[in-house]
Amino acid sequence: MINIKNLSFYYKKKSPLFNDFSLELENGRIVGLLGKNGAGKSTLLGLIAGLIQPKAGQISVNGYTPFSRNPNFLADMYMVPEEFTFPGVSIACYVKAFSPLYPAFDPEKLNSIFEEFEIHPSSNLNKLSHGQRKKFLIAFALSTNCKMLVFDEPTNGLDIPSKSQFRKILVSSVTDEQLVLISTHQVKDIDTIIDKVVVIDDGSIIYNEHTEAITQKLCFETTTTLHYDDKVLYSEKCPLGYRVVKPAANTESGIDLELLFNAIIAKSI
Amino acid sequence: MNMKSNSFFSFNRFTLLLRNDLLLNYKKYLLAIAGAFILCFMVLYIMMPNNFIKGEPISIYGPGQYEYTFGICIFGLLAFVGSAFADFSSKPTTFNFLQMPASAFEKYLSQFLIYGLAGTAIFFIIFWIDAHLARFVVLSNMKYTNGEIIGADKYNYIEEFSYYSMFFERIPAVFLDKKGIYWYKTIMSFITIFSAGVYLFNVKVAFRKFGLIKSALSFVVLIFLIYVVMRLFSHLYFPEKLPEDISGKLDYILQNGLSNTEIWMSFLACIAPLFLIPFGYFKLKEKQL
Repeated sequence: MINIKNLSFYYKKKSPLFNDFSLELENGRIVGLLGKNGAGKSTLLGLIAGLIQPKAGQISVNGYTPFSRNPNFLADMYMVPEEFTFPGVSIACYVKAFSPLYPAFDPEKLNSIFEEFEIHPSSNLNKLSHGQRKKFLIAFALSTNCKMLVFDEPTNGLDIPSKSQFRKILVSSVTDEQLVLISTHQVKDIDTIIDKVVVIDDGSIIYNEHTEAITQKLCFETTTTLHYDDKVLYSEKCPLGYRVVKPAANTESGIDLELLFNAIIAKSI
Repeated sequence: MNMKSNSFFSFNRFTLLLRNDLLLNYKKYLLAIAGAFILCFMVLYIMMPNNFIKGEPISIYGPGQYEYTFGICIFGLLAFVGSAFADFSSKPTTFNFLQMPASAFEKYLSQFLIYGLAGTAIFFIIFWIDAHLARFVVLSNMKYTNGEIIGADKYNYIEEFSYYSMFFERIPAVFLDKKGIYWYKTIMSFITIFSAGVYLFNVKVAFRKFGLIKSALSFVVLIFLIYVVMRLFSHLYFPEKLPEDISGKLDYILQNGLSNTEIWMSFLACIAPLFLIPFGYFKLKEKQL
């Protein structure tokens, strides 16, 4: 569980990134953290992971203050960063070195994800492609069974089959005790798996809603033409006509996360 | 209470951290050991005399010469100690280090154990082996300048190496009547080396980038500041004299035979680690990405 109260953070005092920022996320969710470039997504993840110290306010993750970097907190929190590097060792050696540091690590789960992702434990990590290394890191992260999993742009560099495998594996492996926070610009890669959307802009939360509530309130469609009586909240041109966001009628539609995000940014919702 | 101590230090977690480091970096450490072995051997081999002019008096390579060579080789050890916290050289590796499930104390201690204690112990072993090996190789090929092989007396030209004779038995002639001063200087040399090692050990924790360059620059600035302060005092207290007259008298020998600079440096060397070790630990604790 994440509980952020009145958080303030800045790199330069004159341009604060977060000012009186508050957020609460409960376990058992896969949360999509969205925002434009420079909105503060990666900084927020860094603050949650204890990599950066807040200037003011409180952050609590599973009862711990992240920046204290209590080893029990670190053993129950795993972050997959956007930029990463590995030592020049085999996958098997890496797993042997790191897995004992995570008490809930499940080697069987790791092997089954390896099979799905077609990862060979004998491969040297530095001889793999960026995508393969990312798949390994995702596999390792999920196998730690940490209560808090943070992914920063997890699908960047993954090929199309791997993206769908990632979604499948993530959904099947996450339990109700875990909280998964995914920050990404590749919204289409995660729109079927998240169950909460948080959008931040200029250091504030401008949208925070469960996907169930979104689909109950809004409807995402593609239409050839726009009519005045359509009650369209937001529309975008597309090759087939228009992608529109409308108030939900009786039928529920899937979420078009990209359209939702653009509508939120355009302040149409 | 138990929970608190566990979050500060857990022996099990600490051994896992050490195991992690050794599993990931054993090749680097083996290379460092091999490099140190070759370098120490080369320095010893170059420093040992291998040919003599027949009939001319010879200078014996003994504990004093070993000590001098040891002093040169110790720079290699200091360089190794300075490579601690190697993960702080880039953002992704810093991330990996900070996210490792261990306390700041365990992380600091593991680096100190590997780079400080184990590094020093292995260095002493390497130097001992190299000193014997270099002596054996040099003695095997010892010749006069005319090409004639030196006989059995060659074993006297290079004495057998031992740490005991180098550090404890040997007292240079100039110190024979002041053994206390000699021992003081020896002990202070060790403390100074330890102090320099502690400083280098903490460089990467304290500075985000270019730690060694920044250290060298700050050292130059410090020397300059001392000079400026001395000149300032000269003008203030001895306005009728030239500042050089004062600075020339800065270093003076006390009645006990030590110079004031030596006492000042000894004081700094003793105090510095007491400050630097907690400083490094708290810097590590507060380290940000």
